[in-house]
Amino acid sequence: MKLASGSGISNDQTLEGQKIDAYLEGVRRELAGLSAGQVADIVEELRGHILEKTVLDGQSGLETIDHALAALGSPQDLAAQYLADDLLERAEKRRSPTPLIRGLARWANMSAAGALVLAGCLIGYFLGGSFMLAGFLKPIHPRTAGLWRLPGDVYSLRLGFGTVPAEGRELLGWWMLPMGLVFGAGLCFLTTQIVLWCAREFRRTAAVGRRSAP
Amino acid sequence: MFVIGNDSAEKWEVQLRKGCLELAILASLWGGPLYGLEILRGLESDSDLIVSEGTIYPLLSRLKSLGLVDSEWVESEGGHPRKYYRLTGPGRQRALEMSRVWRQFSSSMSKLLTPLAREKAGKEK
Repeated sequence: MKLASGSGISNDQTLEGQKIDAYLEGVRRELAGLSAGQVADIVEELRGHILEKTVLDGQSGLETIDHALAALGSPQDLAAQYLADDLLERAEKRRSPTPLIRGLARWANMSAAGALVLAGCLIGYFLGGSFMLAGFLKPIHPRTAGLWRLPGDVYSLRLGFGTVPAEGRELLGWWMLPMGLVFGAGLCFLTTQIVLWCAREFRRTAAVGRRSAP
Repeated sequence: MFVIGNDSAEKWEVQLRKGCLELAILASLWGGPLYGLEILRGLESDSDLIVSEGTIYPLLSRLKSLGLVDSEWVESEGGHPRKYYRLTGPGRQRALEMSRVWRQFSSSMSKLLTPLAREKAGKEK
């Protein structure tokens, strides 16, 4: 049996039905970015779970629905777990920063932790990319590209466009070429690893409890 | 001297439980296909693991994307389709391997912990 890849939202007009629909609509909205088929699959599975839980509880009514929805957690938290998995899967399949940043942007959209990781990721890639670029540009701008120490103990990574800074001293010379490339690539690699570690840690925050002692 | 406080012991226990979750789910599917709520109930009744409901579905979805389980929608009497999960070949392999490691590890740990258990029994007397 295959599910139609629609929104997975029903047209149940009862108050209980509307409540479930509103919750699932929230989940569906948060899952933006996954394929329509994946979203419909997830939403239908959750609907089945909620409906069956209310039947198992032997009661219907808004309170039972509230209880079932609370046990699942907020749509944001629930969707974030699927998204973190999706992010990891994409990033691990294609070792490129684009899917990583795209996934992080979705994660950042829904949690402060995600926003922090995204900011760290962008800074890491920006710095790593700048060092690599400065290394690449050293042969083209041998006098100006490099790591400069300017008056007032200010360090500046310059790509070589513009003039030689007055009273500045270039620190690395031709070492900028190998060091820029190695340090820049290392920084990008480290950033990717830290981001993946954060996403794994986030995924591991799965709540596992223990049966309370009798 | 470094003493593990209650907090640290609890954190360690939580990590231990999280680490077992994948094996517990694979093991609960060993007997045949189950759907999410059945897996949750099984874990609750047969093991000491209580998994939050919002955790089990993303986890099953991950196991599926790893190719360890497969899923199929089946119509139910209640009128709503259920998504049944079953172990794939690699999933069975993984469950067997994890179970072997688990038994080996737990038996050697038990050996190591025997004096501690004796000490505790002695104190209780």
